[in-house]
Amino acid sequence: MGLDSEAQQALQMVEAQGVGAAGGHKGGLFGGGAPTFLTTKLDFVVNWGRRNSLWPMPFGTACCAIEMMASAASNFDLARFGMERMSFSPRQADVLICAGRVPYKLAPVLRRVWDQMAQPKWCISMGACASSGGIFDTYSMVQGIDTIVPVDVYIPGCPPRPEALIYGLMMIQEKIRGESLADHHALRAEDPHTVGRPRASAEEVARVSVPFGNSTQQDQSSVLPGEAELARTENLPS
Amino acid sequence: MSDDTTGSFDQVERGPEASAEDCAKPAFQEGAAGDHPSVGLLIERFGDAIVGHEVNSGDQHVVFVDPARNTEVLAWLKEDESQRYDFLVDVTAVDYGRGQPLEVVYQLWSIPNRRALRIKCRLDLAALRIESLTSLWKSANWLEREVYDLFGIHFDNHPDLRRILMPEDYAEGHPLRKDFPLRGRFSRAEQTRRALEQNPDHQYRDDLRAIGGEPAVVTLPDELPETLAEGES
Repeated sequence: MGLDSEAQQALQMVEAQGVGAAGGHKGGLFGGGAPTFLTTKLDFVVNWGRRNSLWPMPFGTACCAIEMMASAASNFDLARFGMERMSFSPRQADVLICAGRVPYKLAPVLRRVWDQMAQPKWCISMGACASSGGIFDTYSMVQGIDTIVPVDVYIPGCPPRPEALIYGLMMIQEKIRGESLADHHALRAEDPHTVGRPRASAEEVARVSVPFGNSTQQDQSSVLPGEAELARTENLPS
Repeated sequence: MSDDTTGSFDQVERGPEASAEDCAKPAFQEGAAGDHPSVGLLIERFGDAIVGHEVNSGDQHVVFVDPARNTEVLAWLKEDESQRYDFLVDVTAVDYGRGQPLEVVYQLWSIPNRRALRIKCRLDLAALRIESLTSLWKSANWLEREVYDLFGIHFDNHPDLRRILMPEDYAEGHPLRKDFPLRGRFSRAEQTRRALEQNPDHQYRDDLRAIGGEPAVVTLPDELPETLAEGES
Protein backbone atom coordinates (compact mmCIF):
# COMPACT_ATOMS: atom_id res chain seq x y z
CA MET A 1 0.00 0.00 0.00
CA GLY A 2 2.72 2.39 1.02
CA LEU A 3 4.89 1.95 -2.04
CA ASP A 4 1.96 1.86 -4.38
CA SER A 5 0.48 5.06 -3.08
CA GLU A 6 3.83 6.83 -3.34
CA ALA A 7 4.22 5.72 -6.93
CA GLN A 8 0.67 6.80 -7.64
CA GLN A 9 1.31 10.16 -6.09
CA ALA A 10 4.43 10.67 -8.19
CA LEU A 11 2.56 9.66 -11.33
CA GLN A 12 -0.21 12.08 -10.51
CA MET A 13 2.33 14.81 -9.95
CA VAL A 14 3.95 14.19 -13.31
CA GLU A 15 0.58 14.09 -15.01
CA ALA A 16 -0.50 17.28 -13.34
CA GLN A 17 2.66 19.00 -14.47
CA GLY A 18 2.51 17.66 -17.96
CA VAL A 19 -1.10 17.79 -19.02
CA GLY A 20 -2.26 20.65 -16.90
CA ALA A 21 0.46 23.02 -18.03
CA ALA A 22 -0.60 26.55 -18.66
CA GLY A 23 -0.03 28.51 -21.81
CA GLY A 24 -1.01 25.89 -24.38
CA HIS A 25 2.16 23.85 -24.04
CA LYS A 26 2.25 20.40 -25.52
CA GLY A 27 2.25 18.21 -22.41
CA GLY A 28 5.38 16.37 -21.34
CA LEU A 29 7.52 16.33 -18.26
CA PHE A 30 8.74 19.89 -18.55
CA GLY A 31 5.50 21.60 -19.41
CA GLY A 32 5.27 23.69 -16.27
CA GLY A 33 4.25 23.50 -12.65
CA ALA A 34 6.51 23.22 -9.66
CA PRO A 35 10.07 22.07 -10.38
CA THR A 36 10.83 18.51 -9.43
CA PHE A 37 14.10 16.76 -8.65
CA LEU A 38 14.24 15.50 -12.23
CA THR A 39 13.67 18.87 -13.90
CA THR A 40 16.00 20.85 -11.65
CA LYS A 41 18.88 18.42 -12.24
CA LEU A 42 18.21 18.37 -15.96
CA ASP A 43 17.99 22.17 -15.94
CA PHE A 44 21.37 22.31 -14.26
CA VAL A 45 23.03 20.08 -16.83
CA VAL A 46 21.42 21.77 -19.83
CA ASN A 47 22.13 25.27 -18.53
CA TRP A 48 25.70 24.30 -17.70
CA GLY A 49 26.17 23.24 -21.29
CA ARG A 50 24.47 26.27 -22.74
CA ARG A 51 26.17 28.91 -20.67
CA ASN A 52 29.64 27.53 -21.21
CA SER A 53 29.45 27.28 -24.97
CA LEU A 54 27.83 30.55 -26.00
CA TRP A 55 28.84 31.27 -29.55
CA PRO A 56 28.46 34.95 -30.36
CA MET A 57 27.08 36.21 -33.63
CA PRO A 58 29.02 39.48 -34.09
CA PHE A 59 26.90 42.20 -35.65
CA GLY A 60 29.50 44.94 -35.58
CA THR A 61 28.71 48.20 -37.33
CA ALA A 62 30.94 50.80 -35.70
CA CYS A 63 33.68 51.50 -33.17
CA CYS A 64 32.10 49.10 -30.64
CA ALA A 65 33.05 46.32 -33.03
CA ILE A 66 36.71 47.25 -32.62
CA GLU A 67 36.39 46.66 -28.88
CA MET A 68 34.53 43.44 -29.61
CA MET A 69 37.43 42.28 -31.77
CA ALA A 70 39.83 43.20 -28.98
CA SER A 71 37.71 41.10 -26.61
CA ALA A 72 38.19 38.10 -28.84
CA ALA A 73 41.93 38.65 -29.24
CA SER A 74 44.63 37.29 -26.99
CA ASN A 75 44.73 40.03 -24.34
CA PHE A 76 41.16 39.50 -23.24
CA ASP A 77 40.39 36.16 -24.89
CA LEU A 78 36.65 35.56 -24.86
CA ALA A 79 37.33 31.87 -25.42
CA ARG A 80 38.14 31.56 -21.72
CA PHE A 81 34.43 32.00 -21.05
CA GLY A 82 33.22 29.48 -23.60
CA MET A 83 32.65 31.99 -26.39
CA GLU A 84 34.89 29.72 -28.31
CA ARG A 85 34.60 31.41 -31.64
CA MET A 86 32.71 34.18 -33.34
CA SER A 87 30.05 32.51 -35.41
CA PHE A 88 29.65 34.48 -38.59
CA SER A 89 26.67 32.38 -39.53
CA PRO A 90 23.52 33.11 -37.52
CA ARG A 91 22.45 29.46 -37.79
CA GLN A 92 25.28 28.34 -35.53
CA ALA A 93 25.15 31.23 -33.07
CA ASP A 94 23.65 31.54 -29.61
CA VAL A 95 24.08 35.17 -28.69
CA LEU A 96 23.74 38.16 -30.97
CA ILE A 97 26.14 40.95 -30.09
CA CYS A 98 24.93 44.10 -31.76
CA ALA A 99 27.95 46.39 -31.53
CA GLY A 100 27.47 49.85 -32.95
CA ARG A 101 24.85 52.09 -34.44
CA VAL A 102 22.10 50.62 -36.55
CA PRO A 103 20.58 52.81 -39.25
CA TYR A 104 17.02 52.18 -40.39
CA LYS A 105 18.35 50.80 -43.65
CA LEU A 106 20.13 48.07 -41.68
CA ALA A 107 17.16 47.32 -39.40
CA PRO A 108 15.63 44.60 -41.61
CA VAL A 109 19.05 42.94 -41.88
CA LEU A 110 19.46 42.87 -38.10
CA ARG A 111 15.94 41.52 -37.74
CA ARG A 112 16.62 38.82 -40.33
CA VAL A 113 19.87 37.76 -38.66
CA TRP A 114 18.00 37.46 -35.35
CA ASP A 115 15.18 35.49 -36.97
CA GLN A 116 17.70 33.12 -38.53
CA MET A 117 19.31 32.27 -35.21
CA ALA A 118 18.08 29.02 -33.67
CA GLN A 119 16.47 28.88 -30.25
CA PRO A 120 17.61 29.23 -27.55
CA LYS A 121 19.17 32.61 -28.34
CA TRP A 122 20.14 35.71 -26.47
CA CYS A 123 20.92 39.25 -27.50
CA ILE A 124 23.42 41.80 -26.23
CA SER A 125 23.11 45.44 -27.11
CA MET A 126 26.67 46.73 -26.91
CA GLY A 127 27.27 50.43 -26.45
CA ALA A 128 25.22 53.59 -26.29
CA CYS A 129 24.19 53.66 -29.96
CA ALA A 130 22.80 50.14 -30.10
CA SER A 131 21.04 50.61 -26.77
CA SER A 132 19.49 54.02 -27.32
CA GLY A 133 20.67 55.59 -30.56
CA GLY A 134 23.34 57.39 -28.56
CA ILE A 135 24.27 60.79 -29.88
CA PHE A 136 22.70 59.94 -33.23
CA ASP A 137 19.22 61.20 -32.50
CA THR A 138 18.65 61.72 -36.21
CA TYR A 139 16.43 60.80 -39.12
CA SER A 140 18.43 57.75 -40.12
CA MET A 141 19.16 55.97 -36.87
CA VAL A 142 17.29 53.28 -34.97
CA GLN A 143 16.72 54.60 -31.44
CA GLY A 144 17.66 51.43 -29.61
CA ILE A 145 17.72 47.99 -31.20
CA ASP A 146 15.19 46.80 -28.63
CA THR A 147 12.56 48.22 -30.95
CA ILE A 148 13.71 45.63 -33.51
CA VAL A 149 14.83 42.59 -31.51
CA PRO A 150 14.42 41.59 -27.83
CA VAL A 151 17.53 42.48 -25.83
CA ASP A 152 18.77 40.60 -22.76
CA VAL A 153 21.77 42.68 -21.71
CA TYR A 154 22.56 46.32 -22.40
CA ILE A 155 26.21 47.30 -22.12
CA PRO A 156 26.78 51.02 -21.51
CA GLY A 157 29.81 52.82 -22.84
CA CYS A 158 30.94 54.69 -25.91
CA PRO A 159 32.45 52.28 -26.75
CA PRO A 160 32.49 49.87 -23.80
CA ARG A 161 35.87 48.39 -22.95
CA PRO A 162 36.41 44.67 -23.58
CA GLU A 163 36.00 44.06 -19.85
CA ALA A 164 32.50 45.49 -20.09
CA LEU A 165 31.61 43.19 -22.97
CA ILE A 166 32.98 40.20 -21.08
CA TYR A 167 30.99 41.25 -18.03
CA GLY A 168 27.88 41.49 -20.20
CA LEU A 169 28.46 37.99 -21.53
CA MET A 170 28.95 36.76 -17.98
CA MET A 171 25.61 38.33 -17.10
CA ILE A 172 24.06 36.31 -19.93
CA GLN A 173 25.67 33.26 -18.36
CA GLU A 174 24.13 34.20 -15.02
CA LYS A 175 20.77 34.60 -16.69
CA ILE A 176 21.04 31.16 -18.26
CA ARG A 177 21.96 29.70 -14.88
CA GLY A 178 18.60 30.84 -13.54
CA GLU A 179 16.55 29.58 -16.47
CA SER A 180 14.47 26.45 -16.40
CA LEU A 181 13.35 24.21 -19.21
CA ALA A 182 9.90 24.37 -17.69
CA ASP A 183 9.47 28.04 -18.50
CA HIS A 184 12.03 28.31 -21.23
CA HIS A 185 9.44 28.41 -23.95
CA ALA A 186 7.69 31.29 -22.28
CA LEU A 187 10.98 33.08 -21.60
CA ARG A 188 12.64 32.87 -24.99
CA ALA A 189 10.22 32.10 -27.78
CA GLU A 190 8.75 35.03 -29.60
CA ASP A 191 5.38 35.11 -31.19
CA PRO A 192 6.14 33.65 -34.64
CA HIS A 193 3.85 36.21 -36.19
CA THR A 194 6.29 38.96 -35.22
CA VAL A 195 9.02 37.53 -37.43
CA GLY A 196 10.26 40.36 -39.59
CA ARG A 197 8.03 42.90 -37.85
CA PRO A 198 8.83 45.52 -35.21
CA ARG A 199 9.08 44.03 -31.77
CA ALA A 200 7.84 47.14 -30.07
CA SER A 201 4.44 48.68 -30.53
CA ALA A 202 4.07 52.16 -31.98
CA GLU A 203 3.39 53.64 -28.55
CA GLU A 204 6.45 51.98 -27.12
CA VAL A 205 8.69 53.26 -29.89
CA ALA A 206 7.33 56.75 -29.36
CA ARG A 207 7.98 56.46 -25.66
CA VAL A 208 11.56 55.24 -25.87
CA SER A 209 12.56 57.71 -28.55
CA VAL A 210 11.86 60.80 -26.52
CA PRO A 211 14.31 63.56 -27.43
CA PHE A 212 17.22 64.03 -25.10
CA GLY A 213 16.82 67.77 -25.10
CA ASN A 214 19.78 68.76 -27.21
CA SER A 215 18.18 67.88 -30.48
CA THR A 216 16.56 70.87 -32.02
CA GLN A 217 14.19 72.03 -34.68
CA GLN A 218 11.69 69.29 -34.07
CA ASP A 219 8.18 69.29 -35.38
CA GLN A 220 7.03 65.81 -34.44
CA SER A 221 6.37 63.74 -31.33
CA SER A 222 8.55 65.95 -29.21
CA VAL A 223 7.72 65.52 -25.54
CA LEU A 224 9.53 67.11 -22.65
CA PRO A 225 11.64 64.44 -20.98
CA GLY A 226 9.90 65.05 -17.66
CA GLU A 227 6.47 64.25 -19.11
CA ALA A 228 7.42 61.04 -20.81
CA GLU A 229 6.86 57.64 -19.36
CA LEU A 230 10.20 55.90 -19.58
CA ALA A 231 9.22 52.37 -18.54
CA ARG A 232 9.65 49.71 -21.17
CA THR A 233 7.10 46.95 -21.29
CA GLU A 234 7.57 43.26 -21.82
CA ASN A 235 4.60 43.04 -24.13
CA LEU A 236 4.95 41.94 -27.67
CA PRO A 237 2.90 43.80 -30.23
CA SER A 238 -0.49 42.28 -30.79
CA MET B 1 24.81 73.19 -10.24
CA SER B 2 24.48 76.92 -10.30
CA ASP B 3 21.85 78.74 -12.28
CA ASP B 4 24.25 80.68 -14.44
CA THR B 5 24.61 77.70 -16.78
CA THR B 6 20.99 77.84 -17.89
CA GLY B 7 21.70 80.57 -20.39
CA SER B 8 24.04 78.40 -22.40
CA PHE B 9 21.54 75.53 -22.42
CA ASP B 10 18.88 77.89 -23.73
CA GLN B 11 21.13 78.41 -26.70
CA VAL B 12 21.31 74.65 -27.19
CA GLU B 13 17.52 74.37 -26.97
CA ARG B 14 17.03 77.08 -29.57
CA GLY B 15 19.25 75.25 -31.94
CA PRO B 16 21.53 76.40 -34.71
CA GLU B 17 20.87 79.79 -36.16
CA ALA B 18 21.27 80.63 -39.79
CA SER B 19 24.56 82.24 -40.56
CA ALA B 20 24.41 86.01 -40.65
CA GLU B 21 26.25 85.94 -43.91
CA ASP B 22 24.09 85.09 -46.86
CA CYS B 23 25.26 83.04 -49.76
CA ALA B 24 27.54 85.50 -51.51
CA LYS B 25 26.46 86.68 -54.92
CA PRO B 26 29.06 85.48 -57.36
CA ALA B 27 31.42 88.23 -58.38
CA PHE B 28 34.89 88.54 -59.80
CA GLN B 29 37.53 89.11 -57.17
CA GLU B 30 39.84 91.95 -58.13
CA GLY B 31 43.13 90.88 -59.64
CA ALA B 32 43.01 87.30 -58.32
CA ALA B 33 42.38 85.48 -61.59
CA GLY B 34 46.02 85.70 -62.62
CA ASP B 35 47.14 83.64 -59.62
CA HIS B 36 45.69 80.49 -61.11
CA PRO B 37 46.73 79.21 -64.55
CA SER B 38 43.18 78.09 -65.41
CA VAL B 39 40.94 80.92 -64.26
CA GLY B 40 42.11 83.59 -66.66
CA LEU B 41 41.85 81.20 -69.60
CA LEU B 42 38.36 80.15 -68.53
CA ILE B 43 37.14 83.74 -68.42
CA GLU B 44 38.76 84.49 -71.73
CA ARG B 45 37.41 81.41 -73.47
CA PHE B 46 33.89 81.06 -72.06
CA GLY B 47 32.98 84.68 -71.42
CA ASP B 48 29.56 85.00 -69.82
CA ALA B 49 29.40 81.30 -68.89
CA ILE B 50 31.80 82.23 -66.10
CA VAL B 51 29.75 84.27 -63.67
CA GLY B 52 32.22 84.75 -60.85
CA HIS B 53 35.53 83.92 -59.27
CA GLU B 54 36.79 84.06 -55.73
CA VAL B 55 39.76 82.84 -53.71
CA ASN B 56 39.21 81.10 -50.39
CA SER B 57 41.80 80.42 -47.71
CA GLY B 58 44.64 81.95 -49.64
CA ASP B 59 44.93 79.70 -52.67
CA GLN B 60 41.67 77.85 -53.20
CA HIS B 61 40.23 79.19 -56.42
CA VAL B 62 36.48 78.90 -56.91
CA VAL B 63 34.94 79.57 -60.31
CA PHE B 64 31.18 80.10 -60.58
CA VAL B 65 29.79 78.67 -63.80
CA ASP B 66 26.41 79.08 -65.46
CA PRO B 67 24.65 75.77 -64.69
CA ALA B 68 23.32 75.53 -68.24
CA ARG B 69 26.88 75.29 -69.59
CA ASN B 70 28.55 73.14 -66.94
CA THR B 71 29.42 70.20 -69.25
CA GLU B 72 30.98 72.48 -71.84
CA VAL B 73 33.27 74.18 -69.31
CA LEU B 74 34.18 71.00 -67.44
CA ALA B 75 34.80 69.06 -70.64
CA TRP B 76 37.32 71.70 -71.69
CA LEU B 77 38.98 71.60 -68.27
CA LYS B 78 39.30 67.86 -68.55
CA GLU B 79 40.32 67.49 -72.18
CA ASP B 80 42.43 70.55 -72.96
CA GLU B 81 46.15 69.86 -73.06
CA SER B 82 46.97 72.88 -70.92
CA GLN B 83 44.46 71.96 -68.23
CA ARG B 84 44.13 68.15 -67.87
CA TYR B 85 41.88 68.14 -64.79
CA ASP B 86 41.51 64.39 -65.10
CA PHE B 87 40.39 63.61 -61.54
CA LEU B 88 36.91 64.53 -60.36
CA VAL B 89 37.55 64.44 -56.62
CA ASP B 90 34.06 65.19 -55.41
CA VAL B 91 30.63 66.33 -56.41
CA THR B 92 28.61 67.77 -53.58
CA ALA B 93 26.15 70.54 -52.87
CA VAL B 94 25.53 73.30 -50.35
CA ASP B 95 22.18 74.51 -49.07
CA TYR B 96 22.43 77.95 -47.47
CA GLY B 97 18.79 77.89 -46.35
CA ARG B 98 16.25 80.72 -46.38
CA GLY B 99 15.28 80.12 -49.99
CA GLN B 100 18.70 80.88 -51.37
CA PRO B 101 19.98 78.94 -54.38
CA LEU B 102 21.63 75.56 -53.89
CA GLU B 103 25.23 75.31 -55.00
CA VAL B 104 26.52 72.24 -56.79
CA VAL B 105 30.25 71.94 -56.15
CA TYR B 106 32.71 70.13 -58.39
CA GLN B 107 36.16 69.63 -56.92
CA LEU B 108 38.76 68.97 -59.61
CA TRP B 109 42.36 67.84 -59.42
CA SER B 110 44.85 67.65 -62.23
CA ILE B 111 47.18 64.74 -61.66
CA PRO B 112 49.77 65.75 -64.32
CA ASN B 113 49.81 69.42 -63.31
CA ARG B 114 49.26 68.86 -59.56
CA ARG B 115 46.68 71.61 -59.48
CA ALA B 116 43.24 71.97 -57.91
CA LEU B 117 40.19 73.93 -59.00
CA ARG B 118 36.69 74.21 -57.58
CA ILE B 119 33.70 74.84 -59.83
CA LYS B 120 30.35 75.91 -58.43
CA CYS B 121 26.99 76.09 -60.15
CA ARG B 122 24.10 77.89 -58.46
CA LEU B 123 20.64 76.40 -58.92
CA ASP B 124 17.39 78.12 -58.04
CA LEU B 125 15.17 76.11 -55.71
CA ALA B 126 12.46 76.18 -58.35
CA ALA B 127 14.65 74.49 -60.96
CA LEU B 128 16.95 71.96 -59.35
CA ARG B 129 18.24 70.40 -62.56
CA ILE B 130 21.71 70.22 -64.01
CA GLU B 131 23.42 68.17 -66.68
CA SER B 132 25.17 65.03 -65.46
CA LEU B 133 28.92 64.69 -65.84
CA THR B 134 28.89 60.91 -66.14
CA SER B 135 29.89 61.19 -69.79
CA LEU B 136 33.14 62.89 -68.72
CA TRP B 137 34.05 61.15 -65.46
CA LYS B 138 32.77 57.71 -64.47
CA SER B 139 33.22 58.73 -60.83
CA ALA B 140 30.43 61.28 -61.24
CA ASN B 141 27.88 58.46 -61.29
CA TRP B 142 27.72 57.65 -57.59
CA LEU B 143 28.69 61.16 -56.46
CA GLU B 144 25.73 62.61 -58.34
CA ARG B 145 23.46 59.91 -56.98
CA GLU B 146 24.50 60.99 -53.48
CA VAL B 147 23.74 64.63 -54.25
CA TYR B 148 20.38 63.61 -55.71
CA ASP B 149 19.62 61.46 -52.66
CA LEU B 150 20.50 64.03 -50.03
CA PHE B 151 19.66 67.32 -51.77
CA GLY B 152 17.08 66.40 -54.40
CA ILE B 153 18.99 67.84 -57.34
CA HIS B 154 18.16 66.08 -60.60
CA PHE B 155 21.01 65.26 -62.95
CA ASP B 156 19.85 65.11 -66.54
CA ASN B 157 21.08 62.19 -68.67
CA HIS B 158 22.38 60.34 -65.62
CA PRO B 159 22.35 56.59 -66.43
CA ASP B 160 21.08 55.43 -63.04
CA LEU B 161 19.68 58.24 -60.91
CA ARG B 162 18.47 56.41 -57.81
CA ARG B 163 18.94 56.98 -54.12
CA ILE B 164 22.25 55.61 -52.92
CA LEU B 165 22.44 56.12 -49.13
CA MET B 166 18.83 56.27 -48.02
CA PRO B 167 16.47 53.34 -48.66
CA GLU B 168 15.07 53.38 -52.19
CA ASP B 169 11.50 53.82 -50.98
CA TYR B 170 12.44 56.62 -48.56
CA ALA B 171 9.49 58.97 -48.58
CA GLU B 172 10.53 61.73 -46.19
CA GLY B 173 12.45 63.90 -48.63
CA HIS B 174 16.08 64.85 -48.99
CA PRO B 175 17.82 64.89 -45.60
CA LEU B 176 20.59 67.43 -46.12
CA ARG B 177 18.24 70.20 -47.17
CA LYS B 178 17.98 72.95 -44.59
CA ASP B 179 14.19 72.57 -44.38
CA PHE B 180 14.50 68.91 -43.40
CA PRO B 181 13.80 68.27 -39.69
CA LEU B 182 16.67 66.57 -37.89
CA ARG B 183 14.65 63.51 -36.93
CA GLY B 184 12.86 63.16 -40.22
CA ARG B 185 9.22 63.83 -41.02
CA PHE B 186 7.61 60.61 -39.80
CA SER B 187 7.26 59.46 -36.21
CA ARG B 188 9.81 57.01 -34.87
CA ALA B 189 7.19 54.27 -34.86
CA GLU B 190 6.37 54.87 -38.51
CA GLN B 191 10.06 54.99 -39.40
CA THR B 192 10.63 51.68 -37.61
CA ARG B 193 7.64 50.08 -39.32
CA ARG B 194 8.73 51.25 -42.74
CA ALA B 195 12.32 50.18 -42.09
CA LEU B 196 11.29 46.63 -41.24
CA GLU B 197 9.04 46.44 -44.26
CA GLN B 198 12.02 46.90 -46.55
CA ASN B 199 13.25 43.79 -48.22
CA PRO B 200 17.06 44.07 -48.19
CA ASP B 201 17.22 41.63 -51.10
CA HIS B 202 15.68 44.20 -53.38
CA GLN B 203 18.88 46.24 -53.28
CA TYR B 204 20.67 43.56 -55.28
CA ARG B 205 20.22 42.39 -58.83
CA ASP B 206 18.68 38.98 -59.40
CA ASP B 207 21.89 37.51 -60.79
CA LEU B 208 23.81 38.60 -57.69
CA ARG B 209 21.25 37.00 -55.41
CA ALA B 210 21.05 33.70 -57.25
CA ILE B 211 22.31 30.71 -55.31
CA GLY B 212 23.95 28.05 -57.44
CA GLY B 213 22.13 29.24 -60.51
CA GLU B 214 18.74 29.03 -58.80
CA PRO B 215 16.85 32.26 -58.22
CA ALA B 216 16.99 33.28 -54.59
CA VAL B 217 13.82 33.23 -52.54
CA VAL B 218 12.92 36.84 -51.85
CA THR B 219 9.75 36.38 -49.81
CA LEU B 220 9.19 34.29 -46.72
CA PRO B 221 6.71 31.46 -47.22
CA ASP B 222 3.19 32.19 -45.97
CA GLU B 223 3.19 29.16 -43.69
CA LEU B 224 6.40 30.26 -41.92
CA PRO B 225 4.73 31.43 -38.68
CA GLU B 226 2.94 28.10 -38.36
CA THR B 227 6.13 26.18 -39.15
CA LEU B 228 8.02 28.12 -36.50
CA ALA B 229 5.29 27.59 -33.94
CA GLU B 230 4.48 23.96 -34.63
CA GLY B 231 7.74 22.63 -36.02
CA GLU B 232 8.23 21.07 -39.41
CA SER B 233 5.99 18.16 -40.28
